[in-house]
Amino acid sequence: MEAGNPLLDDFVLSLTGSERPRVCFLPTASGDADHYIVRFYRHFRGSRCDPSHLSLFRRERAPADPAEHLLSQDLIYVGGGSVTSLLGAWGAHGIDAILREAWERGVVLCGLSAGSLCWFSEGVSTFHGPPERVAGMGLLPWSNTVHYSSEPKRRDALHAGLLDGMPPAYAADDGAALHFIGGEVAQIVASRRDARAYRVESRHGRIVTTQLATRFLGDPGVVPLPAPVRAAGAGP
Amino acid sequence: MLLALAPPPARICLLPTASGDATAQIRAFRSTLGGRGYDASHISLFRLEHERVPLVEHLLSQDLIYVGGGSMVNLLAIWRAHGIDEILRVAWERGIVLAGQSAGAMCWFEAGISRSRGQARMVPGLGFVPGLLSVHYHRDGERREALLRMVAERGRSGYGLDDCAGVLIRERAVSATLSGRDGAGVFRVEPDGSGAARETRLVARELSSPRPAIDDVAEDIRELRRVRALKGTRATSRRAGER
Repeated sequence: MEAGNPLLDDFVLSLTGSERPRVCFLPTASGDADHYIVRFYRHFRGSRCDPSHLSLFRRERAPADPAEHLLSQDLIYVGGGSVTSLLGAWGAHGIDAILREAWERGVVLCGLSAGSLCWFSEGVSTFHGPPERVAGMGLLPWSNTVHYSSEPKRRDALHAGLLDGMPPAYAADDGAALHFIGGEVAQIVASRRDARAYRVESRHGRIVTTQLATRFLGDPGVVPLPAPVRAAGAGP
Repeated sequence: MLLALAPPPARICLLPTASGDATAQIRAFRSTLGGRGYDASHISLFRLEHERVPLVEHLLSQDLIYVGGGSMVNLLAIWRAHGIDEILRVAWERGIVLAGQSAGAMCWFEAGISRSRGQARMVPGLGFVPGLLSVHYHRDGERREALLRMVAERGRSGYGLDDCAGVLIRERAVSATLSGRDGAGVFRVEPDGSGAARETRLVARELSSPRPAIDDVAEDIRELRRVRALKGTRATSRRAGER
């Protein structure tokens, strides 16, 4: 949902392999911010997909059975905000278990910022207080850091965490997306020419950062992998 | 009434968590307190709009903590995720005035009657105050029925609050009942000894000229939500029909 740049939106839609995919937006991490929900409907218009959103703050106006609704989607898009608030609220409504089932059934899962961190074992979150390690849902057995090049404090916190036993991390710049199939990276794509992703790990007490080959989605002739896939994205 | 408990230059912090840090709630809070000599602040748990706030130090330095309305289930789950529940317990033990509206009122009790999951159901609270509390008591008949049922079935007791009514708690018990509007009542609901619930209207002290409650939703927003709710119903039934 980058302003004026539909490349990543087009990419995640293409992963579903459906002509008019059913797409559900989970804006929980933002507190179901109205402006964010409006932005989702602007980017995922009814002409190209069947969009919906699931509010956990106004359940009386939401689909009655979140499990039925989420499991019938082709793509679930998790918005950014606070990953701690996100996982707290999901746990209270059983959304984490539903998403795990959706993932096992092959629904494409994606998201940005907190909506990326949530799929991994661990991440680095900055909120009130210094950046710190947070546990995610653990669908992907790695660590994750977003906004990697733009927030040095996050990078420092990741390095400290890795030296302290965090699993190896996949880090993404804004505009770069990590595409996982199962638990492994399948490809890195980007909506901006200079956006990159990295594998960052601790080897013998040293931090080793490997820049990963990234495909810019704006070049002509770039074709996404065919479905079916399972995915988690990161960035913008 | 609340402001009388914490006169200027009191430090008053809003926790708008239950609404998802709704901008309208934060704005209403700020405009209620603005220009009156208070040191007003709020803590966002979703968006970092301002400076980062050291949660413990900030909350424990307040004179009054006000919790806005919204989803009670989300409120408590998100507080626990951030450790706010424990900070509030310390605040309570230190005598900081704890207040709130709707979900923000029920959260202090053992349990509230909430629509956080759609239907009116009992939801556990922080338990600082014994018993149950239902808000929107007569406006939302299902909440009243749920409270009466819980009291009858479980032998617990509690209170029902109409909109614009309130209770003041001291030493874990109700010390005053308050009404800010004609007809807004406070109801004590307790087991009648024969397996049913007995409901007693308590005499509430009338408060004069209340300001609009900070959760009041503007009419245009209500209209938008009604339209969206209608659309949602149609979409759901259409999908159900496909199967």
